[in-house]
Amino acid sequence: MSIVSFKGTREGLAITLGEGVWHDVLNELVAQLNRPGAQSFFQGARVFLETGERALDVTQIEELIALLAQQRMTLTAISGEAATQDAFQRVRATMPAPPETLPLEADASPPGALPSTFAQGETHALLVQRTVRSGQTCQYAGTIVVIGDVNPGAQVIAEGDVIVWGKLRGVVHAGAAGDENAMVGALILAPTQLRIGNRIARAPDAFGKRARHFPEVARVREGRIIVEPWIGS
Amino acid sequence: MPGRIITITSGKGGVGKTTATANIGVALARRGQRVACVDADIGLRNLDVVMGLENRIVYDLVDVVEERARLRQALIKDKRLPELQLLPAAQTREKSAVNEKQMIKLCNDLKKEFDFVLIDSPAGIELGFKNSIAPADQVVIVVTPEVSAVRDADRVIGLVEASDKPAPKLIINRLRPAMVRRGEMMDTADVLEVLAIELLGIVPEDETIITSTNKGQPVALEDRTAAGAAFTRIARRLLGEDVPFPILGDSPGLLDRFANLFRR
Repeated sequence: MSIVSFKGTREGLAITLGEGVWHDVLNELVAQLNRPGAQSFFQGARVFLETGERALDVTQIEELIALLAQQRMTLTAISGEAATQDAFQRVRATMPAPPETLPLEADASPPGALPSTFAQGETHALLVQRTVRSGQTCQYAGTIVVIGDVNPGAQVIAEGDVIVWGKLRGVVHAGAAGDENAMVGALILAPTQLRIGNRIARAPDAFGKRARHFPEVARVREGRIIVEPWIGS
Repeated sequence: MPGRIITITSGKGGVGKTTATANIGVALARRGQRVACVDADIGLRNLDVVMGLENRIVYDLVDVVEERARLRQALIKDKRLPELQLLPAAQTREKSAVNEKQMIKLCNDLKKEFDFVLIDSPAGIELGFKNSIAPADQVVIVVTPEVSAVRDADRVIGLVEASDKPAPKLIINRLRPAMVRRGEMMDTADVLEVLAIELLGIVPEDETIITSTNKGQPVALEDRTAAGAAFTRIARRLLGEDVPFPILGDSPGLLDRFANLFRR
C-alpha cells in the first residue's frame, strides 16, 4: 500500500508515485527519505520520476525538487502524462542550474560516489533488513543483501549477487542483466526458482521436501546452475 | 477511554474470518466488554447469519455512511448478550459504496460507544480489504494450516506492515492435531516460521462450528466445545491476560465427548 516506491538503476534512482492524495504522497516521500540509514543511500542521487496517470503541476514539481534537494538529490527526468512533462519543462526553464548539465551516465556505480576506503572491485549493495513477503519485490542494479527471510511468493532481483542471511524460499534472480558470474547464497537455500543470468533452476517437485540446514551457494558452472555447501572461499 | 478497532482479515477466502469475528465478539461480550461487530463485506454479507441476527436488519453500514440512518438505528443488539451489537453490511451494494475516509469516520464514532470494534474484512486485497484496514488500531490475520492460505496471509501481512499499522497478530484456524501428528498438515511452528508474527490463538478443527454457524449460535457462547474455548482464550489475550497455549488434542476427542456428555 506504499504510495511511493524506489528502485535503484544504473542511471540513478527511479521513484514511482502511486495513487493517493498529493499530501500523502509528499509525506510518504519524506518518511522514506528520512528512514534510518536511507540518507546515506539517497544522498546525491539522480532521480527519475514515474508519475503514471497522475498529472503534476508546476507547484507540485517545485515542491518535489525542493524536497529532494534536502538530500542533495536532483530530479533529472519525469515520465508520465503530457501535462506533467510540460510542467516539468517549464520548471526546468526557470531553474538556475539546469540538471542536464550534470554528468549523466559515465560510471556504472550506484548512486553516490564511493568513499576512498573502498578497494578496487568493491561496491555498494542494497541492504534489506526485514522479511521480504509474498507479493513484494526487491530489485537493485547491484548486489542485494537481505538480513531476514525471503518468503515464497516474494522476488529478489539483482544485477549482482544475492546474499540472504536467513531462509530464501521465494524467486531469486542474480546477475539479472546477464552476468553469469553472479552467485546466490543463503543460510537456508530453498528457492521456488533460482535464476542466474539467463539460467533457470527450480525447486524439485517432490512433496514434503526438507531444506538442508546449512548455508549453501548457487553458481553457474559449465553452463549449469549448481548448488554446494557455502564454506568460505 | 475510547475502544480498540480490530480488523480481522486473511487474504484467502473461507479460512474463517467471519466465524472468528462473531466468536471473538461473543467471547469479549461474555466478559462484559461492549463490542460492535462490523461486517465490511459489502455485497456478500454473512456476519449477520453467523450471529443469528439476519431477520432483524433494517438499516445497514451503507445507509449510515450515506446518512439515511443514524448509527444507533442501524446497530442490532444481540439477542443473547446485551453488550454485543452488529452493524450489518449492505447486501444490494458493492464495495465501492464506501471509501476509506467514511470507514474511518464510522469506526471512530463506534469507538466512542464501545470497548471493541471488530471489523470483519472481505477476502482479497482490493478495495474492501483496504476499507477494512484503514480504521484499524490492530489487525488480526486468520490463517488455516495450508500452503495457499499461508501464502495469502504473508501477502496481507506485507501490506499491513507497509501501511503504518502495528505488526499484525495471527490466529491459526482449523488445525487438526491428528493430521499434524501424522505429518500430513503444517503445524503451528511451520506456519509461524514463514509468517514470523505474534500468535494470538490456535483454534482446532471442530465440527460443532458448522452446526453452530448454520444455526446462528456462535460456539463461543459456551466454553464446552474445543473451538469455543479457543475463542475465549483469544478474547482473554486481547484483554491483556497471559493465557498459555494448551497442547490441543484431537477434536472432538473421545475423552472430550465423554466429558461433554457428563457435563450436559
